[in-house]
Amino acid sequence: MSSHRLFRFPKPQWLNNANARTFGVYTAGALFSLGFYILIDAAAYSKSALNGSDPAVHITFVDWIPGICSALGMLVINSIDKSRLSADSFSYSGNGVAWKARLVLFLGFALMAGGLAGAVTVLVLKYVVPEYVWPTLWMGTANVVANGCVMLSSVVLWVAQNMEDEYTYNLAL
Amino acid sequence: MAGLKTIIALSFVLAIGFLLVILSSALWHNYFPLLVVATYVVAPLPNWLCGHAANPDDFMESSGSGIVDFGRFLTGFLVVMGIALPALLAHCAIIQTPAMVMSIIGGLLIYGTIISFTLFFQEEAEF
Repeated sequence: MSSHRLFRFPKPQWLNNANARTFGVYTAGALFSLGFYILIDAAAYSKSALNGSDPAVHITFVDWIPGICSALGMLVINSIDKSRLSADSFSYSGNGVAWKARLVLFLGFALMAGGLAGAVTVLVLKYVVPEYVWPTLWMGTANVVANGCVMLSSVVLWVAQNMEDEYTYNLAL
Repeated sequence: MAGLKTIIALSFVLAIGFLLVILSSALWHNYFPLLVVATYVVAPLPNWLCGHAANPDDFMESSGSGIVDFGRFLTGFLVVMGIALPALLAHCAIIQTPAMVMSIIGGLLIYGTIISFTLFFQEEAEF
């Protein structure tokens, strides 16, 4: 297995540890929760008494679209079985499984990148261009931070799930 | 060795945790911080349920651990929710800042009790 490795440096040993993998999955859940509650915080702040913007600015459905895109992208990316990506090298797999897996994965990454880009778009067009000041600006900033957290969570989950293969391989022997 | 002293200490900590959370609600006549208790009681459940749902004997099928991962993901989500929810409520001026601090500390004490209880008494159940 190690002879197929692409990079010059060896994989650090702790990456194959089962505890590191468990910790990674917990961290991914924590990061997703952080992003989700930052989004909820912006929405609650928009309706609370603290929202003192003079022409009243509120969170509308437009602000939710990037978050929904990011969450959908995360769902798509992490529901793919990673071993199917290299399925073409196995003769017994059906035709084009790896191709389909890559297509769906591409859709997932596109959704996630679209979510982050959409969050920045909403921040700029809805909050920065009309020149709102800080407490109102938080509603747009929270959107970007939340989508960044969801993206980071997805990365952590992806790395943690890729640790799995070699660990279970060692266990089975 | 998990004995009588452990049980007494754990129940003491649990009582302090509940005291803090209930005080943080009752002092300001605003019962939103009680949600923290519900969160932390629910938090270990997905882990436990998904651990039972997965098939541990299945070595050949590496995708069998997906449901265990989902349980861990949900547990991580709920643990952070217990901290994020009071912070959210305080940031939106729904509860006061001292109530936020008290409910976060109380919630962490309750969750710590649950976790250390399962850690201490797990050994005997397995054998």
